[in-house]
Amino acid sequence: MGATRRVTVLLLGAPFTRQARRDLRFCLIGAITGLTGFLVTAAVLLPALVISASIVGTLAGLALVVAAIAIARLLSALHRRLLRMTTGERITAPVPPRAGSGVLGWLDRRLRDRNGWRAVGYIGVKLPIALAEGYAVATTAIGLAEFAYPLFWLLFFTHPEPGERPGRMNAVIPVPNGHWAIETLPGTLSATLAGSVCILAGVWLMRGLVTVDARAMRSLLGPSRVRELERTRAIAVEDAAEALRRVERDLHDGAQVRLAAVAMSLGMAQEKADDDALRELLDAAQTGVYGALADLRRLARGIHPPALESGLADALASLAAASPIPAQVRADLPERPAATIETMAYFCAAELLANAIKHSSANVIEIIIDTERTVVLRIRVTDDGMGGADPARGTGLEGLAQRVSTVDGALRVSSPRGGPTTVTVELPMRIRGGDT
Amino acid sequence: MRIVIAEDAAVLREGLARLLTDRGHEVSATVADADALRAAVAEHVPDAVIADIRMPPTHTDDGLRAAMAIRRDFPSVGVLLFSQYIETRYTARLLEAGAGGVGYLLKDRVGNVADFVSALERVAAGGTALDPEVISELLRKPDRGLASLTAREREVLGLMAEGRSNSGIAAKLVLSEGAVEKNIASIFGKLSLEPEAGDNRRVLAVLRYLRA
Repeated sequence: MGATRRVTVLLLGAPFTRQARRDLRFCLIGAITGLTGFLVTAAVLLPALVISASIVGTLAGLALVVAAIAIARLLSALHRRLLRMTTGERITAPVPPRAGSGVLGWLDRRLRDRNGWRAVGYIGVKLPIALAEGYAVATTAIGLAEFAYPLFWLLFFTHPEPGERPGRMNAVIPVPNGHWAIETLPGTLSATLAGSVCILAGVWLMRGLVTVDARAMRSLLGPSRVRELERTRAIAVEDAAEALRRVERDLHDGAQVRLAAVAMSLGMAQEKADDDALRELLDAAQTGVYGALADLRRLARGIHPPALESGLADALASLAAASPIPAQVRADLPERPAATIETMAYFCAAELLANAIKHSSANVIEIIIDTERTVVLRIRVTDDGMGGADPARGTGLEGLAQRVSTVDGALRVSSPRGGPTTVTVELPMRIRGGDT
Repeated sequence: MRIVIAEDAAVLREGLARLLTDRGHEVSATVADADALRAAVAEHVPDAVIADIRMPPTHTDDGLRAAMAIRRDFPSVGVLLFSQYIETRYTARLLEAGAGGVGYLLKDRVGNVADFVSALERVAAGGTALDPEVISELLRKPDRGLASLTAREREVLGLMAEGRSNSGIAAKLVLSEGAVEKNIASIFGKLSLEPEAGDNRRVLAVLRYLRA
């Protein structure tokens, strides 16, 4: 019994809650902004599309399209705020369009502003919701008025002029043919009952519409899921790379310096020592320090090769110089890729070079780095060895392909039996969704 | 010798200054970044400079770039680069303008004070001092002339490239100076370095590998 009572109280008590008043405000404002927003945006966008189609008006038309997108973005800010005031839900604003250079660049960025177009989409979706919201508000308002019919009757209809009939009131509910006449005081109770039902229906309808609208906003006015994933993945990749660079820097400025200083002190002590046994001990200590320094050097080089600071071409030239099979580097890079990409490209090339040295029995290895349309960094490692490299069998190439895919890169292998083998790695110059 | 030291780690900077002062050299200035290094060299015009490669302001190859500028503007100043790493590419850049008056050593080498100071003296005197790591890296490179060298000749070439004199090489390998000279002549022959190249042949023998 308790449960039934609670449900009844919840159902019937809804109009008396603070949430009902918030929903009412949301639907009232939302109905107005939704409708006018649609009309204004459509009034700007439709002529813009027509004008754009003609050769002369293209630029003006496109500027109008940009204006429509801007209006849609402004309205979405308003709607996100309205939702926060109603349900407390915060929808993060998507990133603003990036600045382009020059008038055409600016126009291009704004026309391809995906989040702006999603805001335009919301305005379209909002139109039926806004109409329903207006209907729900009207239902509630009519319900409130009719609830008070007995009061109206007593105030205005019980004191007719002598010889006149008491008059009649019209009751209305917002459904087809939903009206009837009331001619007596007890008859007004039918209006009160109808009013109560209208209020309840209106309040629950508004609650439902807020939920639907919130869902539409979440999917269209927030950051898109894919974008969000791309952004967080870029952050994760860049953070990891930055953490490694920091470790290398700390090693360089910390442990390595200290050990070099220890080696120096031991050397000076050795010069001053006049005892053979002591000198032997110092010698042993120094051998240990040299070993530690060599270990640290190897470790640091595996984390972040120092030559990478002066660019990929330099770092790869250093790498090739140490190759036991003659290796040539040809680099054509008009601009430097993002630091994370440079590091990744370096280790890809290093691993491909090591593979070629180990497995190919080649006479010559060639490493070519260039860019394609300045957005893709391409690394090609070719050897004239015996071929037959298969990414499906060797785990090395597969692991490389997986690592490259974390930044939407790709790896292709061409290795017919008998050679030559060419492995191509393509990386974006900048990580999508990243800052750098 | 009058020396300027450029090193951003204070412990090494002060340690080096003490080590050199103990040995009777004069440390004209100690600085912690590449810009200060160039200013100090312009002010003191020392006999030699010891410079870290990775230094402020950019923490990349500032020391190397300063070294090349110093060699260009003050040919009398020998520059010994001093680094945690040996990068073949850096060696090549350093030697582009000529192999005299330059050196490139790992920081580890200060552990052997006598060797370190003699390397610095060679650089100050217009000679060369390359780290054994540079040499071993270079000797790993394939070269037909090099492939025909005997093990002893490789050893001699390695020490030669470090910048040692014939007597220095003889002492290190416990050979007579005559034997060393014979080995060197054989190396020049196998690497086809003609006699008219004169004294430079020692340097050419080393550069041959850097440019291969």
